[in-house]
Amino acid sequence: MTAEARDALLPDIAAGDVQAFASWLAHGEPRIRLSLKRFARFVDTEAVLQETLLRLWQVAPRVRADARGDSLARLGVQIAHNLAIDHLRRSRRLERAQLQEPTTDDGEEPAFTDPLLRTVIHECVGKLPKQPASVLRCRMESGGTQPDEALAERLGMQLNTFLKNFGRARQFLLECLERAGVEFDSPRRPI
Amino acid sequence: MDDESLIEQLTSAHREHSPQGEIRFAPAFHDLSEAAREQAYELTRVARGLEAALDADGLSSTARAVLARITSRG
Repeated sequence: MTAEARDALLPDIAAGDVQAFASWLAHGEPRIRLSLKRFARFVDTEAVLQETLLRLWQVAPRVRADARGDSLARLGVQIAHNLAIDHLRRSRRLERAQLQEPTTDDGEEPAFTDPLLRTVIHECVGKLPKQPASVLRCRMESGGTQPDEALAERLGMQLNTFLKNFGRARQFLLECLERAGVEFDSPRRPI
Repeated sequence: MDDESLIEQLTSAHREHSPQGEIRFAPAFHDLSEAAREQAYELTRVARGLEAALDADGLSSTARAVLARITSRG
């Protein structure tokens, strides 16, 4: 999806069209997450990102597309930056964070919507061992609405077992994708 | 719980909300070193990419959690 196409969604998002916002999120979320990288040592970037996306939805009726394009994403990067700074001020870590590299907005973080890539990942998911597969499926189906404790209980697992299996699933998928010639920009293993 | 499990917990998109509606940091975040938090950030990026690629609408669990929040507010 091009920047122009994303800007074209703005009137519908401003009018309260959740489906239009969902279409925008598929591309906007990775970009804003990437802009929070410098704060990852000091703030919970997932919490800041979700707060940012909720605020974007709230302020969308007042956002106007401009000549630079991708207006909502650029505003999101700014909101995320400000929220992270607010958290740092509260925890008195601002000076340390300023020693790191400045916030960057590289524009594009690839959205993983390629049908061929999806097919390859589905094939890899199909090869997962039983327990990692069930954990991966369970977390995805919950869509972030339930804590891991509840998901583990539903699968009859201890929380620690659930978490280990999630890590195993991700690692298995990354290795499977690598064998298929697909590279994700990722660390090799949890520490 | 060891660091590896805490990191995996931090990669979840589930976050509690305060009574005022503010999204709270995951408890695991506070129990991890700065280096481990950075590791969790990178692993979360990978996980969200995989989730989006597997989702019919190209949405990650972060996007799903946000949309659930929006629609629950009516």
